[in-house]
Amino acid sequence: MFFRLAFKSLFNRKGSVVLTILAMSVSIFVLLGVEHIRTQTKESFNSTVSGVDLIVGARTGSINLLLYSVFRIGSPTNNIDWDTYQAIAKNSKVAWAIPISLGDSHKGYRVMGTSGDYFKHFSYGDKRQLTFAEGKHFSALFDVVLGSEVARRLGYSLDDKIVLGHGLGKTSFSLHDDRPFKIAGILATTGTPVDQTVHISLQGIEAIHIDWQHGVKILGSNVTTDQLESLALKPKTITAFMLGLHSRMATFGVQRDINSYRQEPLSAILPGVALSELWQMMGVLENTLRLISGLILIAALLGLSAMMLASIREREDEIHLLRVIGAPPVFLFLLIEMEALLISFLSILLAISGLYLSLLLSSDFLASNFSLHMGRSLLSKNNLLFILLIIGATMIAAVLPSFFAYKNAKLGR
Amino acid sequence: MADKIFFMTIQLQDVRYTYPGTLGKAVLNINSWSVATGEQVFVHGPSGGGKSTLLNVLSGILQADTGEVSVMGQRLDKINSRQRDRFRADHIGYIFQQFNLIPYLDAMDNIKLAHQFAKENQSSSLKNDIKSLLSSFDIDSSDWHKPVAKLSIGQQQRIAIARAMINKPELLIADEPTSSLDQGNRDNFMSELMTMVTEHNTTLLFVSHDMSLAKYFNRIDALADITTSGADR
Repeated sequence: MFFRLAFKSLFNRKGSVVLTILAMSVSIFVLLGVEHIRTQTKESFNSTVSGVDLIVGARTGSINLLLYSVFRIGSPTNNIDWDTYQAIAKNSKVAWAIPISLGDSHKGYRVMGTSGDYFKHFSYGDKRQLTFAEGKHFSALFDVVLGSEVARRLGYSLDDKIVLGHGLGKTSFSLHDDRPFKIAGILATTGTPVDQTVHISLQGIEAIHIDWQHGVKILGSNVTTDQLESLALKPKTITAFMLGLHSRMATFGVQRDINSYRQEPLSAILPGVALSELWQMMGVLENTLRLISGLILIAALLGLSAMMLASIREREDEIHLLRVIGAPPVFLFLLIEMEALLISFLSILLAISGLYLSLLLSSDFLASNFSLHMGRSLLSKNNLLFILLIIGATMIAAVLPSFFAYKNAKLGR
Repeated sequence: MADKIFFMTIQLQDVRYTYPGTLGKAVLNINSWSVATGEQVFVHGPSGGGKSTLLNVLSGILQADTGEVSVMGQRLDKINSRQRDRFRADHIGYIFQQFNLIPYLDAMDNIKLAHQFAKENQSSSLKNDIKSLLSSFDIDSSDWHKPVAKLSIGQQQRIAIARAMINKPELLIADEPTSSLDQGNRDNFMSELMTMVTEHNTTLLFVSHDMSLAKYFNRIDALADITTSGADR
């Protein structure tokens, strides 16, 4: 009967109640939505690379190294000598090493020279390996493997020929148009920068630069493709490399050895540590978003409180009647609290279904435009905590109107 | 004296009530007033003469500042507010001029709600009790599940009697219950009310300024004779 009374009383005032519920749902939608996007972004960010124990590049800051080696953002300060790479890769504690060579691009997408080991050892997310949606990894000199986004956006399919541009600009005027590449494979979507990368072999990188010097093509020099195939191409330098160790225990030792490598100044970073350092830089933005959604919620709760308070004035007769038939003042207090909670529950329900629906409808859009793969599990521990917080805040917001109802009841009005 | 209390439904002795913040001007000042069990009393007086305060004190919503308030032998000034609420639900029925019912609930729910606060919560026969009560007040069964706001004023006041009687109260307080009714409905209401209280031997305290209703009663008190409000006696 108590619930029935609260529910029917709300239903009786549908106009103002519906508006309050809408205001509350919108604010809860924003709050939970921001929280969901935040955790999902963080998760996908933190899972950009996994299973790699160390990333090594020329001496630089750890975030810079992470940015260009993993996120393909910014440019490397210096290259590493091929011999250095060989020496470290041969270390007994190293299980595998993946060389990375950057510097070219294709229509704005970065080209990465690497070895076949990349597809074998690089993993992301929860130790997930790269898989091929179509084709296989490069075997010939002028084979290329595309990230899923590159293939989708540019409309490429297997065996298409593409031309790489020199440098990192989106519209490069100096093209390696004498050495077209054939698409050998297209990777499955990962939700990481891998999707936006064009992979070729280190030998391929060497081959397209063989008759180049200081960033320009040398006129008249004409090495034929057949000649290239027969040459034993060996890179002189690479940009960075990733290491997997036999034992994770050895990580710090190897890192120290690399950082104090005598022949060349190097930096070795732990990708996990660098990732969280990078994420911390976004902490201000994160907290600002949270603050704004919190303020929106407070505004909605104040609206709820004002609406309930106004209703108490209209309901003096009702309160008196309830008193006369024996309702104690506490009953009135609880009744108003219950009405506020019902509004809150309905708003939470509405907000969650709205959020779920919009995630459902926008997941393709988010995945293809932002490589953001939203999980659909809205009821994370964090969000459950927020929901409890909202319910608690509702009860607090309803204290004032509930107290007025209680006071009126006490005075027999 | 003790016997007298036993047969008295209402017994007031030296009762004073002052609203907080009104600088000690007593709105209620009763030396002695009583109503015997089974009696039907008509109380008339102008509004603002301490009428609603008297009824609030009698029903235990307000507690008198001083004096003895005894209803059915229970000293309301000796028990706490929760006990008074319970006592009211169990023993006192109440009918107002208007707003006797929660407008958005139907007749059934209104009566159920009144029952809920009372002591005996035997739910087995409750539904049938309500139905027979509503039928006895000429409320058509098709109107039982409509929000009462959709019913006529006459119907609403009759449901109000049913609501007031559901817990079989020993004392029924009616506060201007006919003021919003037209002549026909008023006579109808009065005869049904009087039949009901006679049948159940309910003590009735009927407050109105409409002297034409006095004909239904054998005891008529003026509010001014009961309380000397504002005077310092």
